[in-house]
Amino acid sequence: MQDERALPVSRKISSWRQFKAILRKDIVMELRTKEMLTSMGLYAILVLLIYYVALSQAGQGFDVTRIAGGLLLLAIVFTSMLGLNRSLVHEQDQGCLEALLLSPIDRPIIFFGKAVGNLIFLLLVQVFVVPLFYFIFLSGGMATEHTGPWWMVALALIVTSIGIAGVGTLLATMSVNTKGKDFILAVLFIPIMFPLLLVAVAALSAVITGDPEYVRIFWTMLGAAAVYDVIMISAAFALYEFILGA
Amino acid sequence: MELIHPTNTELYALVLHDAPFVIAAYGLLWLMFCGYVTFILVRLVKTDKQIALLEDAVAKKG
Amino acid sequence: MKRQIQVAVVLIVLGGLLTTAAFFMSFYTASVQRFGTYTAEGHVDTVFDIAPSSEQVAGGVTYGRPWLAQKIFYFHVPVALASFLVFTIAAIFAVMFLIKKKKSYDTRSRLAVETSLIFTLATMITGILWTRASWGVWWEWEPRLTTYFILMILMVAYFVLRNSVSDEERRATYAAVFCIIAWIDVPISFMITRLIPSSHPVVFQPGMDVTNLVPFIAAMIGMLGVGYAVYMLRAAEENAEERLDMIREKLEA
Repeated sequence: MQDERALPVSRKISSWRQFKAILRKDIVMELRTKEMLTSMGLYAILVLLIYYVALSQAGQGFDVTRIAGGLLLLAIVFTSMLGLNRSLVHEQDQGCLEALLLSPIDRPIIFFGKAVGNLIFLLLVQVFVVPLFYFIFLSGGMATEHTGPWWMVALALIVTSIGIAGVGTLLATMSVNTKGKDFILAVLFIPIMFPLLLVAVAALSAVITGDPEYVRIFWTMLGAAAVYDVIMISAAFALYEFILGA
Repeated sequence: MELIHPTNTELYALVLHDAPFVIAAYGLLWLMFCGYVTFILVRLVKTDKQIALLEDAVAKKG
Repeated sequence: MKRQIQVAVVLIVLGGLLTTAAFFMSFYTASVQRFGTYTAEGHVDTVFDIAPSSEQVAGGVTYGRPWLAQKIFYFHVPVALASFLVFTIAAIFAVMFLIKKKKSYDTRSRLAVETSLIFTLATMITGILWTRASWGVWWEWEPRLTTYFILMILMVAYFVLRNSVSDEERRATYAAVFCIIAWIDVPISFMITRLIPSSHPVVFQPGMDVTNLVPFIAAMIGMLGVGYAVYMLRAAEENAEERLDMIREKLEA
């Protein structure tokens, strides 16, 4: 009697544990190779370097704060595309995705496991890149005097990163199975993310420039970004199963 | 409905400044549709011809 | 198949007649409309003064500009609405493909996206000429124009994606998933001029005059007819290609 009751429990591993297992797999692999974080971090620094070149002749009177929000987000978008591609190419190369499909893990859990893993890496890179960006471009003179609180910038970046990681995981899983891999990812990813990037830049710029109405603009735009995140991630979540099955 | 709505006579009494753009837009729209449809039809006729040819070949073979 | 082509050609001719009738009606019987634009101050009726070039008075009515460009409403809007509608149908076919896994749904979805892309291009061409006439520029990064441009890029990306997957079943599934995700831009693009400040006019709203409504509906029906005809022609072509492939295989065997 007791055995019968115990059986289904031991057979069915809870979703939470499945999720943790997938997440742990990604993190352990990263801790061993450190490949993703180093490549993403280095790439982000290179993007900042190019920004410096692009702005080097802008002159003294040029107000960087007006475009800082856009520049910051651009660096994150490029870096995230590199990371997303990497994260799924790994799975593809070593046949890991097929192994995951054979395992008794629920398909939706695979999506959340991969997406949260990508989100963590993306946020870790930002912890390092965003202060560096501030240090290089925004630390001089009057630039930082009128800006809003830093937590608003962080919040906007987190909301954007959630969208990038959620939809990006779906699109990257598609693109690694195509002939053009990273090119296809860019073609699919940038137009799909466009509305989110637009509102995110509006929110970031309002805070960084210290617009007189920045609180109102920030929350409106952040709300729009959150709505976009919810819609897109639910769609990606519902459709991920089909991508894995194909 | 009258033949010409009074607001239009007022409008046309003024300079027809934007007219070329509107008429060009309508013209281009249909030029595009017609071009695309012709393109499809030409391809269709070509495929049909090929089908007829190959069907003959199949008939001879069989 | 021959019958399909005949119906398609008849539909195109009918569509052409209807839209042309609407085009002339817009100049003769339709009343000159006010443009509703949603600005930061709320909804305002801007009576022809978005880009005032000269003040002219006729019959006691002041026009900021002799705005003949307004007449574009009677074909630009029907084409744009048709492109939204056809893309929606493509997304519905994509959902049906994912549920039933039948190849015919994938083909229908693809043909609908293609038709929609043609209509999107048509909207772009007419729209660009209109912006030149009434805003004085060819292009402006304005919410409606931007989201619509993105929609066009998404449709192009759909075909790029299809071309880069070689496995047939996988291609169909990926395309369907991408089509559904891309469709989310349709309601965004449609609603954006009604939600946030934008200089794109919102002419189609409740309380439109009958003299405006009649040509608009005629043009709308005409455009949908043309859309269906284009879709049918492509389907006929696709069928012919398939038959050709089958005969070729038979010949080689």
